[in-house]
Amino acid sequence: MTQGRRWRELGFLLPAAALGALAAGSVAASRTDELDLTPLPGALVILAVFLVMHMVLRVRAPLADPYVLPIVGVISGIGLAAVYRVDPSLAQDQVIWFAIGGAVFVGVIALLPDPRVLQSYRYLIGLGGVALLLITMAFGTTINGAKLWIELPGGQTVQLGEVAKVLIVIFIAGYLRDKREVLAIPDRSIGRIGLPAARHFGPVVVLVALALALVVVLNDFGTALLFFGAFLAMLYMATGRIAYVGAGTALFAAGSAVVYAAVPRVRDRVDAWLHPFDDPEGRGFQLVQSLYALADGGIGGRGLGKAFLVGEDGQRVIPALETDFIFSAVASELGYIGGVAVLLSFLLLMQRGFVISSEANDGFSKLLAGGLTAVLALQTLLIVGGVVRLVPLTGVTLPFMSYGGSSVVTNFGLIALLLAVSHRSRAGVPVRRRRGRE
Amino acid sequence: MNTSIRRIYLAFTAGFLALILLLGYWQVVAADSLNDRPQNPQALQREKRVDRGTITTSDGILLAESTSKRVAGQDEFSRSYINGALAPHVVGYSSTREGKTGVESEYNRFLAGSFGDQPILDRLRRETKRGANITLTLDSRVQQAAVDALSGQRGAIVALDPTTGAVLAMASAPAFDLSDVESGFEAIRTADGSPLLNRATQGRYPPGSTFKVVTATAGLSTGQFVPSTRFDDTGSFDTPGGPIQNFGGAVFGDHNMIEALTRSINTTFARIGTTLGPSGIGNAMDGFGFGEEPPIDLPDDQVVASGRFDGGSLLPNDEAGIDTARIAIGQERLAVTPLQMALVAGAIANRGTMRQPYIVESAVDRGGKTVYEARVNDLKQSASAEVSEQVADMMTRVVLEGTGVAAALQGLSVAGKTGTAETEDAARNQAWFIGFAPAENPIAAIAVVIEDTSGTGGSVAAPAFADVMRAAVTAKG
Repeated sequence: MTQGRRWRELGFLLPAAALGALAAGSVAASRTDELDLTPLPGALVILAVFLVMHMVLRVRAPLADPYVLPIVGVISGIGLAAVYRVDPSLAQDQVIWFAIGGAVFVGVIALLPDPRVLQSYRYLIGLGGVALLLITMAFGTTINGAKLWIELPGGQTVQLGEVAKVLIVIFIAGYLRDKREVLAIPDRSIGRIGLPAARHFGPVVVLVALALALVVVLNDFGTALLFFGAFLAMLYMATGRIAYVGAGTALFAAGSAVVYAAVPRVRDRVDAWLHPFDDPEGRGFQLVQSLYALADGGIGGRGLGKAFLVGEDGQRVIPALETDFIFSAVASELGYIGGVAVLLSFLLLMQRGFVISSEANDGFSKLLAGGLTAVLALQTLLIVGGVVRLVPLTGVTLPFMSYGGSSVVTNFGLIALLLAVSHRSRAGVPVRRRRGRE
Repeated sequence: MNTSIRRIYLAFTAGFLALILLLGYWQVVAADSLNDRPQNPQALQREKRVDRGTITTSDGILLAESTSKRVAGQDEFSRSYINGALAPHVVGYSSTREGKTGVESEYNRFLAGSFGDQPILDRLRRETKRGANITLTLDSRVQQAAVDALSGQRGAIVALDPTTGAVLAMASAPAFDLSDVESGFEAIRTADGSPLLNRATQGRYPPGSTFKVVTATAGLSTGQFVPSTRFDDTGSFDTPGGPIQNFGGAVFGDHNMIEALTRSINTTFARIGTTLGPSGIGNAMDGFGFGEEPPIDLPDDQVVASGRFDGGSLLPNDEAGIDTARIAIGQERLAVTPLQMALVAGAIANRGTMRQPYIVESAVDRGGKTVYEARVNDLKQSASAEVSEQVADMMTRVVLEGTGVAAALQGLSVAGKTGTAETEDAARNQAWFIGFAPAENPIAAIAVVIEDTSGTGGSVAAPAFADVMRAAVTAKG
């Protein structure tokens, strides 16, 4: 019964598809009083993308976790309907990005039967990630004050940072797999805190420096936080030592304080976070408008397509509605109930990711799955936290929901890696020598 | 390693929990206060989805209703005003651009359907909000008579039922048409004569001799004077602020207090005022509610207090060291609203008890349930029943044989008092008339003010009073 998991996956994908179709249908119905079939082709493409992913899993990774794909399907369905609701033409683009993302997913599953081979290429991959960031620093286009995008000749923009985030997680997983023992067993101590030899921390210092450089050069506090948070989570995973997390956090906090003092844009964001209603027409505008939209949604929401999010002239009520604030659009129209449902979907996805991580039977796979999951979870916490005023706003995307090709494509690659790890650990076939249970 | 993974999972789960709690704070706990913020564009949009209730007069004439059209698959409502020029200041407008005034503002809660505590299940059901229908106390016939009486002039008329406080008519001229607010607000706002101003509640005028009703009440209430108290007029009364003369330089010789009010003898009332002093006059003014905004159900910024002013600021009614001789005859920077003077007439008409004025009779939801009903409230005990009867008798004489004969109505005993306040232009006056009828069983108490006229209270304001009173009697049946 090796296909039992895949049947379960299919069984959950069908209601996910129905939900997505219902969401797109209600948006279409709210636009006119007539039957509107324009979202149908896009919906069929998305359905096909998920079915192809499902079929590829049947062939190449039949033992992979059966819940990840349906959860991603639910989130994607609501996300696509929300983008379609904000601007139908953006939804068309987004469907294409989902198709490309599906292709990347298929590619990863097909070409990477055993993710452990990545361990051998860790430094190459790490360098690749750094290179992508450096390219962004050197040639990036500044949009909304942050330098995150590379403009392609066709006018398209890509966010290489999104891809870099996966590459760097792979690198950290490989690196920590090597250094686990030396990091976990201190060879000297300051007071009661044990410290390993300084040389083991070389790459760590490079990473911290890189993260802060990201903030200063790219004005991208969110991605920096993401990298650093994922790194700390993985460091803790590898060593089990909370002191590292504490030290890393303190280091990052000190760095952030300097950045806050030095970079006006960061200061504005933090001020807008602390006192949004002091300047509701200026700095606080985005957040205040978002809070109004959330309040308007109330408990049950007005229903998809029925809230006041886009004016008659197509002007968004909240700037960056289809990207940073896509969650506001959903929570405004589906209300608190819908907002919580979306958050619980992300929570479930994260739970599957950590289950995959803990089920993996080698250190690298554990760290890889855990790191990728931490990136997804942190990204969700950061952007939704920004929208509900838990943390200052950072321009990271909401996985599978925000409009944007780089994010969608990368996240499908990320999910594919997770599922590859899941299948491999279930299959239990060691590539090289087996090191026993970790 | 799995222990660490579990801990990280728990830490992130705590983060998600924080998101869920905070989201709940914004969408449930703080939602109402966010929705009420004035700059909230969501609120304006919400307005378009509300089927506001109608506004009708007490005799069933429709003044405001909401009409719907389908826009992008949703019902969108807009306000239409029928008879928009009948009572624009009272009804007010409800415009997404210009905001709300009048009853549209004051009773928005009912008109917009958010009255009462909505159970949580109702808040979940986001159907079209349907507001309650409002019935005004205004009677269209009385209101129309008031509008007609002011036609072509500037001024205001307030008519109320003195036994309840219900406002039967409230007109201010120049006026505007509520239907023009959405399309031509700027033209209305800048038009000659400030038509947006509700002169009935916001216009302050020197009361002139109508204030002698207050002075007479003060004199009788202290017991220092009775209707038969005799006075001798020499045509002039000396005060520290200079001599006071009678209107037109008349000399009346020997007379009593009844005749003093009937003929509106300045010198005698100046003498009474001097005798009473600041506390005597002040107490009576307190009793009639001078110095406070009348608590009528209109927005606060559309109602002003009456009293004695120094520059822009209101002085206490019993301010020491003031010229009570001049206050007694309605001068000395006294400034009063027509509503205030209608309340004075109403208190005398209702045996000394002033009722709280009100404009909305009831609000009934679409299911036929009454969700609001006006109550008759006592506002002030302005005078004893005995004193108010004495003053009423004197006022009846004013219309029978004095300055107010033009206010007389066939078959009715009318009580009233004229007033003619001088303006900066010696040839122009502010003409007043306040009164009520029938004197023994009053149907209406009315105050009329006509701005900037060559006529007097007796020649232009008294006939307007008669027209409106006739309509009130007819309406009463």
